[in-house]
Amino acid sequence: MSLSTHNLSVGYHDKAIVKQVDLTIPEGKIIALLGPNGCGKSTLLKAMARILSPMEGQVHWQGKNLHSIASKKLAQQLALLPQTQPIPEGIKVKDLVAYGRSPYTGFWGRINKDDQVIIDKMMEETGITELADQLVSELSGGQRQRVWLAMTLAQDTPYLLLDEPTTYMDLSHQVELMHLLRKLNLQGKTIITVLHDINQAARYCDHLIVMKQGEIITQGSPESVLTQKLLKKVFSLNAQIHQDPIAKTPMCVVE
Amino acid sequence: MISIRLPFIGQCLALLLLLLICSWISLFSWSVITITPMDALHALYQMNAESIAQHIVHDLRLPRVLIGIMVGANLAAAGVIMQGLTQNPLASPSVLGINAGAALGMATVSSIAPWFGLLGTSVAAIIGGGIAWAFVMLLGSAWRGGNEHGRLVLAGVAISALCAALTKAVIIIAEDQAAGVLTWLAGSLTDARWQTFDSFWPVCVIGLLGAMLIAPTLNLLQLGDDNARNLGVSLMWVKLGGSFLVLLLVGSAISSVGAIGFVGLLVPHMARMLAGQDHRKFLPIAMMLGACLVVLSDTISRAIIYPAETPAGAILALIGAPFFIYLVRKRTL
Repeated sequence: MSLSTHNLSVGYHDKAIVKQVDLTIPEGKIIALLGPNGCGKSTLLKAMARILSPMEGQVHWQGKNLHSIASKKLAQQLALLPQTQPIPEGIKVKDLVAYGRSPYTGFWGRINKDDQVIIDKMMEETGITELADQLVSELSGGQRQRVWLAMTLAQDTPYLLLDEPTTYMDLSHQVELMHLLRKLNLQGKTIITVLHDINQAARYCDHLIVMKQGEIITQGSPESVLTQKLLKKVFSLNAQIHQDPIAKTPMCVVE
Repeated sequence: MISIRLPFIGQCLALLLLLLICSWISLFSWSVITITPMDALHALYQMNAESIAQHIVHDLRLPRVLIGIMVGANLAAAGVIMQGLTQNPLASPSVLGINAGAALGMATVSSIAPWFGLLGTSVAAIIGGGIAWAFVMLLGSAWRGGNEHGRLVLAGVAISALCAALTKAVIIIAEDQAAGVLTWLAGSLTDARWQTFDSFWPVCVIGLLGAMLIAPTLNLLQLGDDNARNLGVSLMWVKLGGSFLVLLLVGSAISSVGAIGFVGLLVPHMARMLAGQDHRKFLPIAMMLGACLVVLSDTISRAIIYPAETPAGAILALIGAPFFIYLVRKRTL
């Protein structure tokens, strides 16, 4: 209900990447966007975060056109973690995370006590508390990714849009991240994330949306979506579906 | 540097003190008619109408120093805003064509239609600078986002060269105005009077206040266009508003004293070295540094071939170029 697209086409340089997509994001779930490279997952995510303007159609937030809502107001509702991040020079980790509060602070960007509590909490959740006084440009890729994630989380929005949040992270941090997402989800947040790892998506997400060439092929629970036929059709992969022995979720094994 | 370890307030006070000392020295030094340091102070508080020295201080030196302060602050603030908007460390009024465009506008009007007078040339400078800036932004596709540093600077260099060529052509066509235009092109505070001050200060105050208002948003632009928009910045308004401020700041400075280069490019980097990357802190530092630098250069410009004067813009380039090389070598750019 809250976030939906209507006949949405978006792209770059007059070339549509996402083509006439109608999609309603189910509220209160962790949703994964899956699909081969260049299928338009990131583009769709950016359009839903109003980074890209639609070429055709609309994105609605609570029934209103996304682009008619004041920027600052929307930034209190939707937060996006982009796929690639610039490396800002001379900015400390704690200052970067604090910028996540800017939709709430006055125009001067003054951080009050409540803001500081949220900033500290998010830095702890993402395990970057001990990096607080380091420069962002001096960190490793995985550490930096967690810093940006903390900034996005500090925005404290009911909807989170994450574009490949596990990039650069080692396996243990990936698992920690997925657990953190579940924890945030249980606090009532809706999380939409682009993921590359199908098995990770099937294990940790409630709802999968599969895209190919700018269109949505299918969506639903991991059990209903993940089939041999779909993997063949979308990823051109010969794979078998087995049950994950621990989580009891479906998992694919390439033949 | 010691000042790096000073807290922000300390840095501000130190710079303010430095600015006051520079200004005071500028008030009494290198004058054909001897002015004592005390004359300079008396002229400010209790003017002795009999004293020629105090008249010189009050009527010539004081407006000159005040205009120097404003010009320095304006150009430094404009440089900070331009570097923030374009996310390009080389962005500055001189590199991105504003100076050259303003010079062309000013030269055209003063050569072809000199009867417009001072107001006409100021307006022409602002319009010329604005057109050049718009061209550079369009050619360098600065609106599209992304960090195409090279393209923007190339566009700036190309437009600057074009404007410079046209300016020269204008000077050759209307030779009787050439001397005035050339002095103006080098940038000099020689003709700064109370009259200039009166028309300059309101624009200067508005521009500098506007720059402070936009500073927190410039902080968010450092995180990239996507992140800035995601944090609730409306990019189009910020870029339009910022460009308008730049034109206001640069246009008013340039039309008062001419095309002074290097301040807008260098001072923001010096300020960052002192105060870090937070625009709310380094912008006021940059303003004060810029003011100090221009007042200092103006003082030196009177000393070099005393009693004649060299343009302050030339002195700034003399100080600026080596410092710029130092910055490039230190890779703070």
